[in-house]
Amino acid sequence: MDAKFLISGDTAVSVQLGDEISLEVNQKVRGLFEELTKKPIDGVTEMVPTYASLMVHYRPQVIRYKELKEEIEKRLENLEEVKETEGIVKEIPICYGGELGPDLEDCARFENVSVQEFIRMHSEHEYYTYMLGFAPGHAYAARFEEPFHFKRRESPRVKIAGQSIVAQLNLSNLIPFPQPCGWNILGGTPLAVCDYSKEDPFLVHAGDWFRYVPVSRREYDKIKEDVRKGTYRVKTYKKGVK
Amino acid sequence: MGIVVENPGILTTVQDEGRFGYQQFGVSPAGPMDTKSFYLANILAGNSRGEGALEMTFQGASLRFEQDNIIAVTGADMSPNIDGTPVPMYQAVLIHAGSVLTLGMTNGNGCRAYVAFAGGLDIAKVMGSKSTLMRNELGGVDGRKLEKGDAIGFVAPKTTLPNMGLRKLKPEIFPKKDLTLRVVRGPQDYEFTEEECRKFFWYGAKITNEFDRMGCRLEREEPLHHIGDGNIMTDGIAFGSIQVPTNGQPIIMLADRQSTGGYTKIGSVISVDLPLLTQSMAGYKVRFVEVSIELAQELYIRRLNELDNLERKLNQA
Repeated sequence: MDAKFLISGDTAVSVQLGDEISLEVNQKVRGLFEELTKKPIDGVTEMVPTYASLMVHYRPQVIRYKELKEEIEKRLENLEEVKETEGIVKEIPICYGGELGPDLEDCARFENVSVQEFIRMHSEHEYYTYMLGFAPGHAYAARFEEPFHFKRRESPRVKIAGQSIVAQLNLSNLIPFPQPCGWNILGGTPLAVCDYSKEDPFLVHAGDWFRYVPVSRREYDKIKEDVRKGTYRVKTYKKGVK
Repeated sequence: MGIVVENPGILTTVQDEGRFGYQQFGVSPAGPMDTKSFYLANILAGNSRGEGALEMTFQGASLRFEQDNIIAVTGADMSPNIDGTPVPMYQAVLIHAGSVLTLGMTNGNGCRAYVAFAGGLDIAKVMGSKSTLMRNELGGVDGRKLEKGDAIGFVAPKTTLPNMGLRKLKPEIFPKKDLTLRVVRGPQDYEFTEEECRKFFWYGAKITNEFDRMGCRLEREEPLHHIGDGNIMTDGIAFGSIQVPTNGQPIIMLADRQSTGGYTKIGSVISVDLPLLTQSMAGYKVRFVEVSIELAQELYIRRLNELDNLERKLNQA
């Protein structure tokens, strides 16, 4: 599909590069984001990548809509492909079930598998971060193998805990702070999804790969304490190694 | 200390121009609701126009000055006074240590007042900005609205500024009961039939009391109908985006808007008209008029040029 330029008022334009949620389309979005980060267009103030579009905020006193559109069209013609094999994968500890993951057993029952098998399906694969949105650091991520069949809960919860990990189909999101949520909660991570006191407050960025690593409640508490003391370092490995 | 809050009013927050560059991480930009009044307050007080100032909503605050400084009050008319003596608005005024500046209830002309302090407020920047984003407890004073007893320092207080005699403007008259907002169509106007789009412009809507820094919910007699179900693949949201969720009742997204969202957006209120909306109140009737992106940008640039010219005039030696 050709790029669609959707006018979002007099200081922003949404550049839509596809009409589905897929790795292929999202990597075009990332490609454009990286191109415009490396070689910025004068007047562009910030960019917000989402599933299939890149929102470009700009100053019309520096560049008008028509000129901006032409410049982005030019950049799209020679866009380099994003090379994923060079990526790293972050390991995000998750403690499944119990008070941290109240929906785990229901979800396993819905999938007609044991809890152990359900955890394997959720934690064996790498997740791709499509975008961040809704709240600071809130990651929308997906795996590309063994999707679940359940969707949202019938009625959303008014408030779920921060650092919850929620899922539906092949999607599994990281929740930074307490919020209303209609998804099923599988577990919790001891890591801060967003910590304003850090130079980079966000556990994952759009385009990052990560994997959920099951930990016991005891390990969870230990990691949480290390995070509090500032001694915990997020583990990573090179994509394709594990 | 510069000022001590004796009475915080209903909703008083520190806002600078906004927290830009973090929407890609899900952080709302925040910033002033009425950018024009905010810029004018700073320019009159001799600041760079995006400096941190106080935004007061409906009923203003009482502030005890512990140091002399020059201030300017703009926006809604909350009958500002110093120790009971009225203070002119839209004017640079020197306030002495020991005096109490009080802003009361709005007299109906607007609902948001701005107080700028020469040299700026001593507020730590979080992610590059002093703006308060209450929803995420970010920026400003502990990420919240001001409370009684809060003390905020001045960075570089002044007792005089160049061209003090010129630092005076005619106060703004804000809409009463009715307002017209100009709108650029898109990004998802194609989710509505041409007839539905025409109806959006033909028939006005009423501002409901669900109107805060995040957004303004409108009520139409006849809800708008989408071609589909009103949901889209989540994409970016701008200041002024008019979301139309499944129920067909528009929500105009404002300073504390989410950076992304999954509802259709039929159009966006143009930048120069947003202050008319953010100074309006529940019950007011809104009409929309379609304009081109070219005209919207032309008007916006003219507005910025006026501000530049004013700044130059006031700061020349």
